[in-house]
Amino acid sequence: MGMREYITRRIIYALIILALSTVLLFGMVRLLPGDPIRAAMQQNVDLTDESIVQEVRARYGLDKPVHIQFVLWLRDFVKGDWGTSLSSGEPVWDMFLRRLPVTLLLFVGATFWAWVIGIPLGIFSALNRNSYLDASFTGISIVGISIPVFWEAILLIYALAVIIKIFPPSGYVPFFTSPWQNFMCIVLPTFVMGTQSAGSFSRYIRSSLLEVLGQDYIRTARAKGLREKAVVWKHAAKPALIPVVTVIGLSWGHLIAGSFIVEFMFAIPGLGRMGVDAVFARDFPVLQATLILVVINVLFANLLVDILYGYLDPRVRVQK
Amino acid sequence: MTTATMEGTEPRRLSQVGFKAIVRALLKHKLSRVGLVIIVLLFSMAIFAPVLAPYHPNEQDLYSVLQGPTKKHWLGTDNVGRDLLSRVIYGARLSMSVGVVATAFSATIGVIVGLIAGYKGGWIDQIIMRITDTFMVIPGLVFVLVMASALGPGIKNVVIAIILFTWPGFARIIRGQVLSVRELPYVEAARASGSSGLRIMFKHLLPNSLAPVIVASALSLGAAVGIEAGAAFLGVGVQPPTASWGKALRTGYSYLERVPLFSIAPGLLITAAVLSFTLVGDGLRDALDPRLRGEGKKIK
Amino acid sequence: MKPLLEVKNLHTHFLTDDGLVKAVGGISYDLHEGETLGLVGESGCGKSVSALSILRLIPNPPGKVVEGEVFFEGRDLMKVSEDEIREVRGNKIAMIFQEPMTSLNPVLTIGYQIAEPLTLHKGLSKEESWKEAGELLTKVQIPEAAARLRAYPHLFSGGMRQRVMIAMGLGCNPKLIIADEPTTALDVTIQAQLLELMKGLTRDFGTALIIITHNLGVVARYADRVNVMYAGRIVEKGSAKEIYGDPRHPYTIGLMASVPRLDMDVKKKLIPIEGQPPDLLHIPAGCAFRPRCNYAVEKCQEVIPELTTLADKHEVACWVDVRRN
Repeated sequence: MGMREYITRRIIYALIILALSTVLLFGMVRLLPGDPIRAAMQQNVDLTDESIVQEVRARYGLDKPVHIQFVLWLRDFVKGDWGTSLSSGEPVWDMFLRRLPVTLLLFVGATFWAWVIGIPLGIFSALNRNSYLDASFTGISIVGISIPVFWEAILLIYALAVIIKIFPPSGYVPFFTSPWQNFMCIVLPTFVMGTQSAGSFSRYIRSSLLEVLGQDYIRTARAKGLREKAVVWKHAAKPALIPVVTVIGLSWGHLIAGSFIVEFMFAIPGLGRMGVDAVFARDFPVLQATLILVVINVLFANLLVDILYGYLDPRVRVQK
Repeated sequence: MTTATMEGTEPRRLSQVGFKAIVRALLKHKLSRVGLVIIVLLFSMAIFAPVLAPYHPNEQDLYSVLQGPTKKHWLGTDNVGRDLLSRVIYGARLSMSVGVVATAFSATIGVIVGLIAGYKGGWIDQIIMRITDTFMVIPGLVFVLVMASALGPGIKNVVIAIILFTWPGFARIIRGQVLSVRELPYVEAARASGSSGLRIMFKHLLPNSLAPVIVASALSLGAAVGIEAGAAFLGVGVQPPTASWGKALRTGYSYLERVPLFSIAPGLLITAAVLSFTLVGDGLRDALDPRLRGEGKKIK
Repeated sequence: MKPLLEVKNLHTHFLTDDGLVKAVGGISYDLHEGETLGLVGESGCGKSVSALSILRLIPNPPGKVVEGEVFFEGRDLMKVSEDEIREVRGNKIAMIFQEPMTSLNPVLTIGYQIAEPLTLHKGLSKEESWKEAGELLTKVQIPEAAARLRAYPHLFSGGMRQRVMIAMGLGCNPKLIIADEPTTALDVTIQAQLLELMKGLTRDFGTALIIITHNLGVVARYADRVNVMYAGRIVEKGSAKEIYGDPRHPYTIGLMASVPRLDMDVKKKLIPIEGQPPDLLHIPAGCAFRPRCNYAVEKCQEVIPELTTLADKHEVACWVDVRRN
């Protein structure tokens, strides 16, 4: 079958990229000009006292050469010791654990919107090709792809939280405090996060389905005497949707960018918010951990797509 | 953010389309035409900003702060009494130039690197591709934020960040094209007749890759404009007092209930800019995609 | 006896971005039960389109059968309802397509694809239909048939896939099989095997067969009757023997001269037909073959020649009696 070899290959590949991007991000955070410690301490410490600065640098391991710093940091990171936040003093690992469920919830919600809107839109567009329906769905999808996340958020907040007060304009209530309020809190943010994916899904599914419908084997299916419905759902849907898996995976990986802005705007205490705050506070231990998480998330999504693809498409299974 | 727009810019058998065919396809496709018109309008706005804007963008009218539309200020004023219309018109300069500069650089870098990877193949190709993979797993906006936190805020750093995360897309497209064109008879013939590698790359491989590069450029322009606005919105982009849509939107957001136009006007323009580039890129891709072309018309 | 299939004045047009293409411009022919008909011509002459038109498989847009009747078992297939034509497709009339590599669905198993028409038209259960699918695979001489039902098409070679297509076509014991260039994409040796197989099976089942091909060798060996098509029209009709031994249309003569034949003097040169195949967007007035014809007279420029009967069933559409020259 070769499936195991295929998966092993993909995992090794993902690990290589993870290693490279870790180095890249570590380098960007540490090597670029500007002293994070000085920047972080600016407000509350007398920077003219070199000894204090040196002491803090030593505590964060910044007095060693960069490659040693990297090795030490990597060792600790793998052990689950992600350092402590410069601004709050809290262990980054604890911050991560507390915020992960919030962001995951947003991701799931955004994916839900993207599927529920994007997939039907794409399918109807393709099946009613060149009709007014197709044209308007295409228009909607492209607007969805193009509309900036923050702008869409503002519009929705203004319309559905300020003018018509249905949803809270911002804030977050944990699920276990109040499931209903939790739900109301995440409707707008997840919709905003999912919009762009919905647009890309719709566009991608449309062209994928159209391509498949033009294939010879669809003509074969029609020549068998199948109803058009059976032709579409039994013969066209699967080959058309297999490549869409790639787009779904890609968009999951990139939802994180949306979550940075959305969590910032809706004041949701998730990982995106943690990243944005870390940028402004120049809180490099937090920033570094967030960035690695972003990359792991993207790579994990890609890996999952590759594996899923292998299972779905019989042609991939035999390839080496 | 707008990074997802880059999805699917990988070559879908778009090769061997001449420049004329591209222009024709662009004009024939309805949505692309709409996009083109908006793009022309936005660029005119950027170029003729001093002529079009009723006030200097930084001129403050402290007696009228946070006003709605008036005869004097058609779109009203911002929180320090600057004319919103003028700010918005001047904002086009920033957005358009960021888009053009970033895309020009990243396309050039990407095309060169992609040509080398595709033409040389072997371990050079492997290394280059792994590098592009590495850059591509970091979402664009996150990249901008990291750059800003490392280098400090500012428009230059935003542009550098945009270039850093968009060039790999171009490199991959070109490489894919080169791989598919490399084995074509006429390229083989050129190689057999002793043409140098460089000559083959520029004379034969590059023209064949024109269509996908143009599609990707359009999409990347849109992405760049969106990212710039996003960075400005988060406060790490352009610094005051330069007029910027993203910046205006951020400030306007604080006064959303009082002066809705303060955020609506810049927001609409950002959307229009990103939308127009996406329309052109997307429309062009569809129009040039042989799988979706030539469907003919219905016979009644 | 009444013919199984009567095609009468069939016209199929395509409306492309470049203009109207009259792919089939009025063709008529009959086919009797158990008979094998060869439809011959260069690519783009409308032979495939005319076959697809019979089953209303021309996608609109861009194409449509704009005129004509196709009588099959007493009904005009162009007029029956969508449900009725579906009952005919794959059941009474099966098609075997040109590209074995792309005509099978890559994500469905061979077994499913062969069993599908059986459940659809014969009302078999899943188990029954899979069992029969296995038997069909054995009939088309695929070894270890039962085990291969669960395989996907990409594991099969081109020849094997075409056998699968044949099995799929035979499943419901159709009255007529239309094979559209069934062997063109395959190696010569495999072509011969498959044609023998197909001919043998249709003979056993008493199935009528339309072979669409540009290969005159195939026609000579397997067809009872031959229609030669040019630019969407039939230019010559006759028994295989007549077309071979006594071709009357300049185009048929040209075709004969352009292929090697076993019964031909080896020293004789092959003569290709001069000029380009017709551009269906701009068919000239008069006879479409005129620009390439060595026998053309003035009348050919003005009036399209209709088919006229020479002998019993030998018809030709030409203003010139080529035997006199």
